[in-house]
Amino acid sequence: MIRLALISSAETAQAYGALSTRLHRAAWTAFAPLDSGGSGQALGQVTEATSAEELFTNQADVFDAVVIAADQATAGRLAKAASSLGKPVLAGAAGSNLTALGQADSLLMPAHPWRFLPSIQSVKRSIDSGKLGQAGLLRIHRWLPPGADVESQAERILPDADLACWLFGSAPESVWSLQSAANPGYIQFHLGFANDGMAMIDIAASLPSGGDYFSLTMIGGTGAAYADDHHNMNLLYSGGQPNAIRTSQGRADLAGQLQEFVDAISEQREPSVTPTDTATAVAVVEQILESADNRQVIGGKEGN
Amino acid sequence: MAETKTFRAGVFSVVKHCYLPRAVAAHPRFELVVVTDDADQPDWVHERNQKFADEFGIPYVRDVAKAIAEYDLDMAAVSPEAERHCDLAVRAADAGLHVIADKPMSTRLSECDRLVEAVQRNDVKFLLWNRNYLPAVVQTKEAIDSGAIGELQAIHVDFYFSKNAGPPKGSRAEGDPPINWLDRQMEAHADGSDGGVGKEAMGELEIEGIYPLGYIHMLTGQNVQRVFARTATHFHQANVDNDVDDLATVSLELGGGVVGSLCIGRIGAASHPDIGEIKIHVIGSEGGLVITEARPEVSIYYRDQPPLEFKNERIANENDFLLMDDFARALDTGSEPILNAKAGRDIAATVFAAVESGKTGQPVEVDC
Repeated sequence: MIRLALISSAETAQAYGALSTRLHRAAWTAFAPLDSGGSGQALGQVTEATSAEELFTNQADVFDAVVIAADQATAGRLAKAASSLGKPVLAGAAGSNLTALGQADSLLMPAHPWRFLPSIQSVKRSIDSGKLGQAGLLRIHRWLPPGADVESQAERILPDADLACWLFGSAPESVWSLQSAANPGYIQFHLGFANDGMAMIDIAASLPSGGDYFSLTMIGGTGAAYADDHHNMNLLYSGGQPNAIRTSQGRADLAGQLQEFVDAISEQREPSVTPTDTATAVAVVEQILESADNRQVIGGKEGN
Repeated sequence: MAETKTFRAGVFSVVKHCYLPRAVAAHPRFELVVVTDDADQPDWVHERNQKFADEFGIPYVRDVAKAIAEYDLDMAAVSPEAERHCDLAVRAADAGLHVIADKPMSTRLSECDRLVEAVQRNDVKFLLWNRNYLPAVVQTKEAIDSGAIGELQAIHVDFYFSKNAGPPKGSRAEGDPPINWLDRQMEAHADGSDGGVGKEAMGELEIEGIYPLGYIHMLTGQNVQRVFARTATHFHQANVDNDVDDLATVSLELGGGVVGSLCIGRIGAASHPDIGEIKIHVIGSEGGLVITEARPEVSIYYRDQPPLEFKNERIANENDFLLMDDFARALDTGSEPILNAKAGRDIAATVFAAVESGKTGQPVEVDC
């Protein structure tokens, strides 16, 4: 049984607490709040530290591994501290500050929860099983209300840059991006992969407040997979035009990610998400933003 | 009841799927009176022309000038191989005939230019065949025009046809000759997947790009100014052997600051239960719009259903009728058809720029 400590807001602790009964070979044993007055009550009977620093200094013997749900800067700092204690770490939000820790001896798994959504897992399995043949085109539309969850455009782009690299199994060879003069929350990027693979992704953080929209299509040489909110809408009638209501995937992303972290520790193997993956995605994001700024193709056939 | 003129139409070659002259014949304002083509065409062309003429009980004249002179035509329905579209259309326009032509407009931009000039010089109407009157596309336009999503900022069309196109990529055995494009297209006539019929090989961008780009043109009212594209041969041996794309992604920079994209492919019958995944995404200043182009549709499943039969059947599709209605209106009132020669030419320029960008790996300015 692996004893887990959580460093997070009380709100995130609620989400992780709800997953307790789903977890195999692990249990929550400690909690440290990120926000003042935060409580780990949702995790059950756990040791509560007053802060992450206090957890590392005085309670290090009550947990085997740490889950850190914090902003990039905080997650990087705390992950470094935990790693120095030899504790395996699952840390998010993933960013460039985590990649420097990739050389640490202890296990470090950056949080890429988008990979663990049931819909995305299904698409990935269909690729890995060979059902779709060679990956040809990845198409993603992601529309969000302004300010949803992330602070910067780089953070907003990172999940889909990572998905593209993960689904194609490599970093792109060339990058082209477009922005909208009228909509600062919009970006479109166009990635070229080996073997003529291509990804076309548009992200808009300009929807009216309310629901978001996500659609992912992977077209391979022998098949295609469509993970599309549009396909998964039900209808609500309450007068006037019907409203579309999306069926929920629950928090299976968090549960899957956490179980992978636990399994990697138990099996003494590398987790399926590594700091190298984060570093690759961060580098692609930088290229996307560079291309958008200078209106040039990054990499590719330039100069041929 | 007011007397309305019935327009006499000549079918100027009909060598591929013949939806265009059939649509003309189906509209009460139009009447097919003759099929015609040049005498020096190969036997297979004459055979297909004759077959169509026989079906409609009209003569087949192997002399275009003679047909024009003797049949008192008002218009021509032009549907030969793609490389002959413009030439037949120009000859019709120069004879004072209005023209409806099948897509693609041409395999060469210079031919498109020649057609635009002929249409203007002769003051005739020209309609390039398109799908802009599909119910879902009309709904898209109505939603945008209503202001429901505010000012249009970005538009994306995903256009994946799930038809097959001969043997799959990688299937050619060592020592076998490459697939001849025209032979393959002639073979494809049996199942109606011969949209690229002609001697010159065309990729999916060239064959079908007019449809999604036609949507974008109509919905934005803007021309594409610059493109960046990736193209690949991913599915079909005929495309590999003839070095033309069957999968492409294109970033679009349009007038008025609008941005967009097109993803297009002939992805094979195994990749979708119907004719394909075709969607329009529009982002406006006040919201977004996600449209499935195939709707409305009815799902039909049954025992022993042929594997390639579409399980979802499009319904209430009046595209053909409405295109012909639009053309009749243009002839009656002098209005411009929904996709006229200049717009068709500018879309062709976008396609050619995208093909060039796919080859060079660099953005390309569109010659509009």
